[in-house]
Amino acid sequence: MFRGDLFIWSVVELLWISVNVAVIFVIYSHTKTVAGWSQYEMLLLVGTSMLIQRFLMGFFWSGIFEMGRNIRSGLFDFTLAQPGDPLFMASTRKLELDGLLNSFVAAALVAYSAWRLGIHPGPGAIAIYLCMLACGVIIHYSALVMAMSLAFWITSSQGVEGSYFTLMEFSRLPREAFGRLASIIFVWILPVVVVSNGPARELLRGFEPWWALGLFAAAMGWFAIAVFMFRSGLRRYTSASS
Amino acid sequence: MTKYFQSFLVGLQSNLVYRWNFGVRSLFWFFHLVVVFILWGAAFATSPSIGGYSFAQTLTYFVVIFVLQFFIGAFNEDYQISEDIRNGLINQFLLKPINYFAYRLSVFAAARVVSGVFGFLALLLALPFFRAYLDFPHDAWRFFLAVPAMAMTAIIQFSIAYIFGLLAFWFLDIQGFVILSMAIENLLGGQMMPLDLLPHPIFNIVRFLPFFYQAYFPASIITGRQGLDFAVQGLAIQAFWAFALVCLAEFVWLRGLRHHTAAGG
Repeated sequence: MFRGDLFIWSVVELLWISVNVAVIFVIYSHTKTVAGWSQYEMLLLVGTSMLIQRFLMGFFWSGIFEMGRNIRSGLFDFTLAQPGDPLFMASTRKLELDGLLNSFVAAALVAYSAWRLGIHPGPGAIAIYLCMLACGVIIHYSALVMAMSLAFWITSSQGVEGSYFTLMEFSRLPREAFGRLASIIFVWILPVVVVSNGPARELLRGFEPWWALGLFAAAMGWFAIAVFMFRSGLRRYTSASS
Repeated sequence: MTKYFQSFLVGLQSNLVYRWNFGVRSLFWFFHLVVVFILWGAAFATSPSIGGYSFAQTLTYFVVIFVLQFFIGAFNEDYQISEDIRNGLINQFLLKPINYFAYRLSVFAAARVVSGVFGFLALLLALPFFRAYLDFPHDAWRFFLAVPAMAMTAIIQFSIAYIFGLLAFWFLDIQGFVILSMAIENLLGGQMMPLDLLPHPIFNIVRFLPFFYQAYFPASIITGRQGLDFAVQGLAIQAFWAFALVCLAEFVWLRGLRHHTAAGG
């Protein structure tokens, strides 16, 4: 219906992908490897991270972002009045085609990087990759729900959604770049690195069971925490409207 | 001037209501610094110098960018202005002897005071981890040129946010335009990497764009990435853009008012 909106957002998301790719090219014009990852391995990692984000943006971002604003304004009452789980109703309210369209661009970046690296994954490898991507989407979704649920406590979530984007910047970094302390925090405690490194490594190095199991466990665990945090916040919610 | 000072005080109070938002934002900007530290640390592991600069000089650049964003960077002003227009709150400014640009600039200044304090606190917390890696030049002239550069950067940042906010006169939702400008500003403003790492032909084009003066230019003076001649030329170009954007803001405001209908009493 809003064709102009679709066009603008598609351009916006394409530009963000281009900006991130441009940064990689500029860095690699000055150095050969980053933490042992070559340019196209890094592009495959960045493409994987973007693919997960595009799916999140397409399916869930608008609804959850609006949820934060509605909690402040009292319009969240209308979500609570609907016959369904509030988190489900809020999350799935809108579908953003621009995010989903740009997922093809991110997928093309992954495919191009794989081709430049001489990687030819079979159907089984692609299926495992997609399953790991799904786990990544669940983790991203959980992080976003937790960020926006802060609106139940801090009056307004305005600007807090930036915390999600900041945390997910880590997903564009290779696991090997993290030192000991950073590994403990950003690899083992916060799953912001395994989200993209897991699926990327699966394409680059083949199936590693511990990475797949770890990613699945992280997805289930973080989803549980997100739901708990949302429900705890919901108990505090008092309508602002009459 | 008293009315704008009162607007500043009101802006200070209203921004302090949302102090937790600034606190959370500054905390997660600290994480952004960690990303920068890890990424560039890994890049410098195999190359002692990138673009003629060491890891310490590059990290210093990003720390300065971080501080500048909290003290002079526009944040949410565009949304606030678009909300004023969409909700009809702009009408009260049309009936009173107050300039909306000046009013919004006063509120922007108040918000920067609050966010600057929180950014400074976050920096103090992070300083023990980064202090050993900071490398500032010692030329006195840099301080004298950095102050006007930062002031004009604030005007440029605010004017761009103001113009985008005024797009609400024509569009129901400006979020797409805002995010579009953020992507351009992030790259061409030097927030994702120092712009002097770009190939020379591209750098020589980018230095004449207004985005160059949104963050990179004052940071390059403070951190020693550019010399005196470049800084003086840059100040002149920056002054042009500050003036041009303020004029453009006024033009868009007048055009927007022609389009605006104030319904109700």
